[in-house]
Amino acid sequence: MISRNKFSRVFQKHGSHSGVTARLGTSLLSKGKRNRLPVIWLGTNTCAGDSISLLNSLDPGYRAIISDLIDLRYYHFGMPAEGDKSTGVLEDTLAERPGEYVLIVEGTIPTRSNGLYCVIGNRRGKPFTALDAVQELGAAARYVVAVGTCASFGGPYAAHPNPSDGKAVHKVLDRQVINVPGCPAHPDWIVGTLAHLVWYGEPELDEYNRPTLFYGETIHNLCQRRHYFDSGIFSAHPGEPWCMYKAGCKGPVTFADCPYRQWNGEHLNWPVKANTPCIGCVSPEFPDHTEPFFEHLPDIHLPQVTVNANRVGAVTGVLTAIGIGGHLVASIIKGRLPKTLKKGFSPAKPGIEILQTTPAQILVDSIKKMLKKKR
Amino acid sequence: MLAPSFLILVASGLYIHKPSRVWGFRSMDSARKAHFIAQYFFGFYFLARAYYAVVTRDYRKIFPGVKDIIALPKFVAYELFLKKKKPKYPRYNPGQKLLYSQMALLFPLQIITGAVLYLTGKLQKLSRFFGGLNNVRLAHYLTTVGLSSMVAGHIYFALTDSVEKLKSIFTGYFKPK
Ligand code: SF4
Repeated sequence: MISRNKFSRVFQKHGSHSGVTARLGTSLLSKGKRNRLPVIWLGTNTCAGDSISLLNSLDPGYRAIISDLIDLRYYHFGMPAEGDKSTGVLEDTLAERPGEYVLIVEGTIPTRSNGLYCVIGNRRGKPFTALDAVQELGAAARYVVAVGTCASFGGPYAAHPNPSDGKAVHKVLDRQVINVPGCPAHPDWIVGTLAHLVWYGEPELDEYNRPTLFYGETIHNLCQRRHYFDSGIFSAHPGEPWCMYKAGCKGPVTFADCPYRQWNGEHLNWPVKANTPCIGCVSPEFPDHTEPFFEHLPDIHLPQVTVNANRVGAVTGVLTAIGIGGHLVASIIKGRLPKTLKKGFSPAKPGIEILQTTPAQILVDSIKKMLKKKR
Repeated sequence: MLAPSFLILVASGLYIHKPSRVWGFRSMDSARKAHFIAQYFFGFYFLARAYYAVVTRDYRKIFPGVKDIIALPKFVAYELFLKKKKPKYPRYNPGQKLLYSQMALLFPLQIITGAVLYLTGKLQKLSRFFGGLNNVRLAHYLTTVGLSSMVAGHIYFALTDSVEKLKSIFTGYFKPK
């Protein structure tokens, strides 16, 4: 078995090329075969983008993942079983392997109307809500992993006006949840986190409980177009081949390794390389507080109104100018300003001249005095 | 010291917000360098000023008290040209006190949000407090807007009050006539 450090190096540095399995050694996966962790993948309110992302994993591929790495017992998107047969697996795993399995949740958990906005099946003739499933299965799981931004932070399924009162997994569970955000999450982020859990346990996490292995640096610091940014060469619109900052790129405030990992199975491309700005899909504020995507700053949401941040700046500037301008005109008309200026520019009267220094100077003087006294 | 570094911070900050040569910078690199140097001057001077205010208990003259609130209508009436005679105040008038106390709260907020945006990784804990870096960016921008408007008002009122006071904002020296 390779060391944890080497694992991190391989996943971090060589994520941009296919062949991760080869680098880890083909024996590695089969060695772990005996220790395959039971995994339950629950789909709640989701577009299933992360499930598709998992299926897109190229190396290791989906077959290697489920036969050599994990014991995938329940997978809403890819299992042929339905009805009691499928929900029965959840109950069996809960009864037979408590404290051993990994619960992966994809999607937000609707909490309005006792969670009835997402029902994953029937149990004893009653709807089995996603809320119940996550709370029951989550309480007894060895690890809980929220895959995708919806499960991690709320994401699009909890965006305004959020009619189902959808919540992130960590908001409905009173325990540690490992977040693997992304809209969708990159296949490597999902498989890499799983592999780490299987072989080495919990990975190092950042303040938002994201594995630093994949979310340890900002996109901006890894971006191939960074030199354009520093030199002030910007694309005015999406589609142009320069730095996307002026087109609203969220790279400077987004932690992910997209620039070198890249997407499309073969690690071919990523948004900036495709001449569109990063929209910050792995961030906790996505999408309500990263919109508009093609603007530098998010809109300000006030009750009943949404205001553009730039407009707030412009309106404040105009109001300040009107206020000062109005006062200035009135000051001139009333003769107050000419009087002040006359007084200000008249030669100083001979006699007492009080020199009031800056507070910092007074401070320095008092320290000097103190030191002198001590000596 | 505070005023010139604040002006540099605003100009370079606006370039960083929306890069354009109208702010007086040619590249992001130069704007960021200027922003960085000015923030050191600003930060240290602000800390020295805050220390001075605490040590000499000068902060009591900066934050408005009940007396100032009572005196506010008279002050407003004079500034709105409804009264001719200028009311006298020991050091700062109620308007100045309102302005300074807001500055005293907003400057630290600006320093904190700026630090979080610069040290994105190391100060991630602080960014969590704002709900994420996008929100920190927004808070930094809105505070700049508020502070710029206040500083513009501050300079204007100093000008209309006395030329010497205006000079003192930039030079630090005040010679009453
Ligand atoms: S394209 Fe985005 S991430 Fe890349 S340098 Fe420009 S702002 Fe940064």
